[in-house]
Amino acid sequence: MDTLLGPLLQLAPHLANGISLGLLFALIALGFMLIVGVMETINLAHGSLFALGMYVALFVAAPKLGWFPELQAAYLALPVGTRYAVALFAAPLVVGVFGLLLELCLRRTYGRDPLYGLLLTFGAALVIEELIRLTWGSNEQQLPLPQSISGAFMLGDLIYSRYRVFASAFAILAIAALWLFLERTPYGAIIKAGAHDSEMVRALGINLSRLRSAVFALGVALAAIAGVVMAPIWGIRPQVGVDAVVPAFLIIVLGGVGSLWGAVIAGLLVGLVVGLTGAYASEWSLMSMYLLFIAVVTFRSRGLFGKKSALDA
Amino acid sequence: MSQTKESRIVLPTRRKLLKASGLALASATPFFGPWAHNRVWAQSAQAKPLVIGLTMDASGQYAASGGEERLGAMMAIKEFNDKGGVLGRRIEAIHMDTETTPATGSRVAERMITRNEVAFLVGALHSGVANAISQVAQKYGCVFMNTNSSSPTEAGKDCHRTKFVWDGNGTNFAHAIVKNAIKVNGRNWVLLTNDYVWGHNTSKATRAIVEANGGKIVEELLVPQNTRDFSSYLLKLQQLKPQVVATAVGGDDIKALRQQVVQLNLQKSMAWINNQQDWPDVYGLGPESIFGVFGTTWYYRLDLPGVKEFVAGYQKQFPGMAIKVPGNVYHNAYMCTRELLRCVEEAGSTNNLAVIKKLEGRRMSAKDRMQHFDAWIDPTTHQVQQTIYMASYNDAPAEKDDIFKILANVDPKEVVDADSVKSCKLETYEATPSYQQ
Repeated sequence: MDTLLGPLLQLAPHLANGISLGLLFALIALGFMLIVGVMETINLAHGSLFALGMYVALFVAAPKLGWFPELQAAYLALPVGTRYAVALFAAPLVVGVFGLLLELCLRRTYGRDPLYGLLLTFGAALVIEELIRLTWGSNEQQLPLPQSISGAFMLGDLIYSRYRVFASAFAILAIAALWLFLERTPYGAIIKAGAHDSEMVRALGINLSRLRSAVFALGVALAAIAGVVMAPIWGIRPQVGVDAVVPAFLIIVLGGVGSLWGAVIAGLLVGLVVGLTGAYASEWSLMSMYLLFIAVVTFRSRGLFGKKSALDA
Repeated sequence: MSQTKESRIVLPTRRKLLKASGLALASATPFFGPWAHNRVWAQSAQAKPLVIGLTMDASGQYAASGGEERLGAMMAIKEFNDKGGVLGRRIEAIHMDTETTPATGSRVAERMITRNEVAFLVGALHSGVANAISQVAQKYGCVFMNTNSSSPTEAGKDCHRTKFVWDGNGTNFAHAIVKNAIKVNGRNWVLLTNDYVWGHNTSKATRAIVEANGGKIVEELLVPQNTRDFSSYLLKLQQLKPQVVATAVGGDDIKALRQQVVQLNLQKSMAWINNQQDWPDVYGLGPESIFGVFGTTWYYRLDLPGVKEFVAGYQKQFPGMAIKVPGNVYHNAYMCTRELLRCVEEAGSTNNLAVIKKLEGRRMSAKDRMQHFDAWIDPTTHQVQQTIYMASYNDAPAEKDDIFKILANVDPKEVVDADSVKSCKLETYEATPSYQQ
């Protein structure tokens, strides 16, 4: 019994860590999933918008402006927790508005070859990354964290990061909120209907352009939220978006395009696989998500929940 | 006189614009085409510029360091141009992003040599990229100065007659740091290794020195490049409970690792050694993230003649930079480019073999390089043997950027990489194509 218990006890923290990692991956993929599922547009700028969310949060939490020094000093005198909360609220708002502008450019690609949308969002990704570089520079930056969620705590004889627990809990809340929004509100019903049959929705008098704008802005805001949450873990760099867009894309295909729960389950699977290989076969830890992807897509090309969508989750 | 600029601008009609363009084209035509040959001749008679190709990362894992080494090379070029260039030729630099990707490095080198007709190639951080560039450079005979990539293989099994390796390598740093760390911190070590050529070869050197000094490698964890989440590695480390963790992790990966170690307070429960800590990878991270002991080849507050002026020169030439003071990456690129141009001047030619012969075995005084010991280029491996510094976080900084405390400076003679000498087989002069621009 003892011989079995030992390895299990060794394994348990890695399983827990894998689940936490999976929740964060799912959070990163949520916005991407929403835009692909509802608008059938692959938003390659997702990663750059994720990075922009980090930088806007940094600007809000620790502004460095020459103007109104007294006002700035007064703001900086506020507790870090307050400024962090403001950043968590403001970043998705600002990036969401940016998303609205991006969607205006994207409109000309609707109904055309999907390559147009792909190219436009790819171009937007490059532009956003360069804008970040020009505005904030290329160096690594850090988001200030409130004391209550920074540092570590003991879990048995292991130390674990408090912030990771906070981030995982936040990811659960974000997933639940998005599910409730899609399933339990009239706006969610309209979004779902728009994805099922856009012509019918238009015939019912619903402004489809406005609906698409709203969905795109929501997806982009979710990317920004993920950026803010991941900033203290991954660090803030202009090129950090690439690290987000690749797993996000993989997760939504693995889970089945357009499926909310597919994205969540796929995120958890990827997290578990990456976490466990990181501990037991570290050289495979990044490769493992791609191997998982190949294994699943080989037998089920639509992904795990491909037939379902966010709309009938 | 009072007319505003805007009011004077008269927008031409489309027809007028077409007419004017046609006329301009027709009148310009005789100056091209038939005269092309003479134009080339005329240019060379006026001493065509000497073009240096900067093969430096502007994106990917080493983007930040790539930016710094570019500034170092540009500074050396500027100083030469201020004196009238080299061999009466003005020096021009072209830069292309090598993207921290070996395939891009090859492509950029090929393009710079065949299309841009560069005289020399300068720059590299990622050892895989450096190796790829050096293969192309050797094919054409173009001298390539590897500024900052430090895998022992660069001047070992992957050495080339046309390649000169400017940074201290993983073995040099391991020699400088390991013995003392075993004495002070203990014998049980875990290696945390970036899963590419530099990481592997640096950890290989560390392992050999640890084992030779009675230490034990409990486990080696390979970290794939671009790893952003180190939680599983850090949990594993807690389970392994080593006395020392020796990392060979670089670029953006080491930044993420440092931050996540601090989040878990693991810097306090085990000793950390980072084989080599590049300045751009640690600048701005915050004092708590600069833990452990690490190696470097230069620091901006070394109490040596010329250092203050060198720092002031950087600040004057590049005001408003995010990195306010230069570090080892800038220093290596500057020294490397300056020495290359000095050799061209001494050789009186840009011919590759003439320049190579000037570089091989070259001795550089400590004073000239602002280091504690004289440096030299090993003629059998083409690696610069230079002072290695051991450093840790400075808990009594004299100013905001004074984040390193130099613990020791080690004579290059004490940290020679004997394995490189054995494994490096330079091509003969005869087997190296002649190249001159």
